[in-house]
Amino acid sequence: MIWGVAALAALLYPIPFEQTGYVYYETVGFLVLLNAMLGIGWNIIGGWAGQFDFGPNIFFATGAYTAALLAIHFQCNAWLALLGAVVVSVAICAAVTYPITRLRGHYFAIATVAMWMIAQPIGATWELINGSRGLFLPVAPGGGFAHGMLTMEFAGRGKGLGFYYLALLLFALTLLGARAVERSKLGFYFRAVRDDQEGAEGIGIDSRLYKVIARCLMAAIFAAGGVLYGFWALAVFPDQVLEVNWNILPMMAAVVGGLGRLWGPVLGSIILIPISQLMTATLGAGPLAGRGIDLIIYGAVIMLIAGWRPNGLLSLPWERWAARFRGRAAAQPVKS
Amino acid sequence: MTLFLQAVADGLQMGLLYALVAVGLTIIWGLMEMINFAHGEFMMLGMFGAWGLSVSLGWDPLVSMVPLAVIMYGAGVLVYRLLMRRVQRGEIFTQIFATVGLFFFVQNGVVALFTSDYRFVEKSLLTRLSGANLTLGNVRIGVPLLVGGLIALALFLILYLLIDRTDFGLALQATSEDRDAAMLVGIRPQHMYAVAWGLGTALVAIAGVILANFFAVYPQAGLSFTVLAYAIVALGGFGSILGTLLAALVVGVVQSVTAAYLPPAFKDAFVFGSYILIGLFRPQGLFGRF
Repeated sequence: MIWGVAALAALLYPIPFEQTGYVYYETVGFLVLLNAMLGIGWNIIGGWAGQFDFGPNIFFATGAYTAALLAIHFQCNAWLALLGAVVVSVAICAAVTYPITRLRGHYFAIATVAMWMIAQPIGATWELINGSRGLFLPVAPGGGFAHGMLTMEFAGRGKGLGFYYLALLLFALTLLGARAVERSKLGFYFRAVRDDQEGAEGIGIDSRLYKVIARCLMAAIFAAGGVLYGFWALAVFPDQVLEVNWNILPMMAAVVGGLGRLWGPVLGSIILIPISQLMTATLGAGPLAGRGIDLIIYGAVIMLIAGWRPNGLLSLPWERWAARFRGRAAAQPVKS
Repeated sequence: MTLFLQAVADGLQMGLLYALVAVGLTIIWGLMEMINFAHGEFMMLGMFGAWGLSVSLGWDPLVSMVPLAVIMYGAGVLVYRLLMRRVQRGEIFTQIFATVGLFFFVQNGVVALFTSDYRFVEKSLLTRLSGANLTLGNVRIGVPLLVGGLIALALFLILYLLIDRTDFGLALQATSEDRDAAMLVGIRPQHMYAVAWGLGTALVAIAGVILANFFAVYPQAGLSFTVLAYAIVALGGFGSILGTLLAALVVGVVQSVTAAYLPPAFKDAFVFGSYILIGLFRPQGLFGRF
């Protein structure tokens, strides 16, 4: 029942804005869905497998660049390009991740940061991807909504609506996929490696293999997100796809909502992304615009969550509160 | 050959400054085994302090180093008492996130106050000396960087003596080795951790003050130094003060030699690449004892 309502709300969300012309809110919705999707991806490695990846945006960038190259040089359809981008990113992820799975805890985390730092000069200087000049996607606008959904080509008035539904589609696929993984053997292996690596190895789980699989699943989701973002922005620049926000926002969404919980990143994203967009909109061109006020708030929120509620907002006793709100006696301890 | 020797000489001088950035982390991470991803942000605060005092009061960074170190010591103790004490005993990820939050908070707080513009400390003693060179064979050694490096070396020796040769240092090491046993002999662990945070923060702030003579001062200056410092501490072997010094010199030389022969954008890439390689093949670090 409640999921039906949520799904309906997500489907109908952009309609009033499309009617009234406040298409900006469609873009906010697009960013919420994109970050929720990336957050679910990050939750697989960070929440379930327990390995902190601070440089997932290298796969976001790999995905965006691969799709852009396919679209430019082979006039590849966007969805085929997405498939290619996922395959390439997963292959690269497997190759670079297997060696560093020997490292644990924050050593692993720093190795992922180091990879991100190494990727930055590569992105800025590699001639194949046009260095810091970036790549521009060839887009032929003018098709209708259905054509846009098949090609990810939208321009002008319908763009906000089109990309909202593209993001919703990818988000829904990611959520269903993650739910399937959570309930499968694979999901249990991930959590076994997180909770007790030696114990997991003792019963025959190859911990390094499952860490690689977890990071590859994350890489696939980040690559798909990168493709979507590339077609949305119509261009791929190293500074933009390797930006720190693509590392931080998905991770924060997962932590604020509830690390290791399927819906955690979704809740986190719904809370965090509008904060940032709201700050941008309300500060406008005033004296505090562009001063990172949203990031100050994010920083404070992460510190508070880490210090006082490390398991995230979903770990709060919502059900008990809801029961008390409804006045159910069953939730109250019986006093004699 | 001259190019190579010159690069090595430059690298050694930079290495001394890196050592000062990293040694604060040696205390917090290597010795006390707590994580701090906001390490470079304290350095950045030191840089801004040096810039601010130089612009507003005309103090030379070599002078403002002392009050700034005291202030940042207090800041470090405060961070431990207000935030890190809460997350110290929980799972490791809470420490990571608490300090990542701190990193965002501090960096963007400075952006909000001062914007992201590049600033430079002008007319300081060391910048006035720029152009003065010592020549050793065919190798030129710039005096400002040399002076900065020597200050770093002096602080390093003091710290080494403090940690390795005094009762206080022994108490610090005892706390890191066995918290409960340390309590039994009358050491207060909470106090030791707070002091370690204060010391680590003050040291990296001093590094920032010295670096402000040579580098642009801007809010995002910290992160690459944080990662560099982690690479150095891991290379040096945890908690080994002299290992940190040697590793920092190695990093400085690797960086400046690669910068001499390859596009400068890659100078950090090689350092981080070697971090990954050493983490894989010699996890105890180059100079670690265990």
